[in-house]
Amino acid sequence: MNLRIVGMDVFFSIKSWWRSRGTVFWSLLFPIMLILIFGAIFSGTGSSSYSVYVQDHDHSTMSSQLLDIMNKTGVLKITMVNDSENATAYIKANNIGCFLVIPEGYERSINQSFINPASRVNLTFYYDPTETGTTEVVRSVISNILQTMNMRLSQGRSIVGLSAQSTITEKFNYIDFFVPGMIGFTIMQQAIYGSIERNTKYRKDGILRKLLTTPITRSEWILAKMLFMLFLSFLTTTIAILVGVLVWGLKVNITPLMILTVVSSSFLFSGIGMIIGRFVKEEETADMAAGAISFPMMFLAGTFFPLALMPAFLQTVAQVLPLYYVNEALRNSMIYMNQTLAITNAAIVLVFAVVFFVAGVVLTKWRED
Amino acid sequence: MVTMRFKCPSCGEIASFSGGPGEELVVTCPSCMLSGKIRFPEDQEASYAIEVSHLKKVYGDLIAVNDISFKVRKGEVFAFLGPNGAGKTTTVEIIESIREPTAGTVTLLGEDTRTGFNKVKERISILPQEFHSFERFTVRETLEYFSYLYQKRADIEGIIAAMDLESHEKMLYRTLSGGLKQRVGVALSLVNDPDIVFLDEPTTGLDPKARREVWQVIANLRAQGKTVFLTTHYMEEAEFLADHIAIIHKGRIIAEGSLDHLITKYGQGSVLRIQGCTSPDAIAILKEQGYDAHSEGNGSLAVTITYKDRVLDVLSTLRHAAVDYESIEIRRSNLEEVFLTLTGAKLLEAEA
Repeated sequence: MNLRIVGMDVFFSIKSWWRSRGTVFWSLLFPIMLILIFGAIFSGTGSSSYSVYVQDHDHSTMSSQLLDIMNKTGVLKITMVNDSENATAYIKANNIGCFLVIPEGYERSINQSFINPASRVNLTFYYDPTETGTTEVVRSVISNILQTMNMRLSQGRSIVGLSAQSTITEKFNYIDFFVPGMIGFTIMQQAIYGSIERNTKYRKDGILRKLLTTPITRSEWILAKMLFMLFLSFLTTTIAILVGVLVWGLKVNITPLMILTVVSSSFLFSGIGMIIGRFVKEEETADMAAGAISFPMMFLAGTFFPLALMPAFLQTVAQVLPLYYVNEALRNSMIYMNQTLAITNAAIVLVFAVVFFVAGVVLTKWRED
Repeated sequence: MVTMRFKCPSCGEIASFSGGPGEELVVTCPSCMLSGKIRFPEDQEASYAIEVSHLKKVYGDLIAVNDISFKVRKGEVFAFLGPNGAGKTTTVEIIESIREPTAGTVTLLGEDTRTGFNKVKERISILPQEFHSFERFTVRETLEYFSYLYQKRADIEGIIAAMDLESHEKMLYRTLSGGLKQRVGVALSLVNDPDIVFLDEPTTGLDPKARREVWQVIANLRAQGKTVFLTTHYMEEAEFLADHIAIIHKGRIIAEGSLDHLITKYGQGSVLRIQGCTSPDAIAILKEQGYDAHSEGNGSLAVTITYKDRVLDVLSTLRHAAVDYESIEIRRSNLEEVFLTLTGAKLLEAEA
């Protein structure tokens, strides 16, 4: 391995990349624009899904009346959860955005309030902060119902309250969800299209044939290109984080798992690009093939919107897409700080990376048939 | 007896001399008249830069290269000539180890490419067909990039100057004209000061001016003593540049040798045109002596001659018969005629 050659190649690649305004735009400015646009759009508005899960521990007439009122709003779609389930575990396991718990003694507390004005009861509303729009609507509807109830029961005295609790310990908003997704998406685009350019355009232009007859080895070339890819990935990540922090007040944690995910995803998507470049020789066709793979991933892997907003079958599809795990690993390692999910998703990304990169390297040939 | 090319250490002139293996000769440079000793190699095989033996490449039912064998001497321009689709690029890419042969062997500078290709990478350089370098490198950066890949590096400044690229060295590669791109491509072939330069159709698609520029560059490579393996489908390119020509047709080499040899052996003869000849008996006199002569009108006669030294015989015959004329013109047979003789088709018609 001649590191002098590798270093020289990386240097020239960076120089060449910097000169391409189009590439720089798609690598850096496009993600920034999306972060700004999507951040602005979703920082205060809701979504159209109003599903709420309810666990009734009271099983009383009054709790049934409350559920009936909620149902009659026509806005909420209620799914009852067995009261033997642990609420937080159930929410996590089923990826639930809105979950209402009616506590045991709900009816008794309301009745007591007529004798003892200090008596009151709180319902617990668990919500996923990343689904800002949905949860705000649901919370607002329930609050209104409770306010009306309080008004009728006691001319406005607060007898039934709503205690909101995030399913994640901190309070997050859409931009916290979006920035890691944008990082994953940009790395994917850069790596896949970069690999394709090297494997189709360079082949067509005779550069690979020329290199084959020079002392540079295929391993040195691939190493140099991967180092360049890592440079781009970390540059993109840094800029996305900076924009998120400076414009939207994003709170980011730089963790080893996040770095591992950035590195793994660079290798993973480069591998996918190499495989495409191996089987699709024409540059234009390869670009189309890359688009056919990356665009569905972009929309189905939870990059811009939470999976919960999608139909169940699409949520299942997302689970086989590598970008989904990259996004989840990044979110949990740099924003939500859920170590279990971060480790699990980062490990899956690592496995994907090893499989696709090794396959890509094995399949990539400089020699002609 | 071996004929070899030697470069004058004083003026750089290349001259050919003949001698036996191991023989020492005192020779004089035809240009600067410097005298000195030259020695022919002991082993004749060592004078070959490229040796190709029974090369074959098969794709399914198609035999792209069919049992090809030839040798290229060090320091010569070897033109591999044939129509498109004849198997030129497949052959050259096998020689360059870009493709695997179905059968046969290739030796470059004494190394079998199956086992020793890595050893000769430093000493060879290629310009692939339709080569386009990195678009966003400048000319200088392109040369520097490829130069860094080698241990042995030629002086970039010297290459830029020799290739007349000084005024373009800061231009991005993608902004260059086709001719300049090819010139840069040939310049890239020199960054490691190679012993063998492979140029695969270096002038295809270029206008006549750009083509002439590339020819000049190739002529300079020969002047520097490089072995040049030139793949081309342009007859005039081979005629202008090559010391040795191999003609490939349908995957086989159908003729090989120097331009003179090929024309003499396969050409339809040269034509001696005698103008301003007023004698009505001239044609009869020439025919009597066995020449193929006919009138072209206006006092012009055309005589087909097989060998160039017979021109004097024709003129001598006329002088003895007291036939006057004003001028003569000789039109040589060319490679197009050679190809026509060998294949029954013109080269462009033969393209697959």
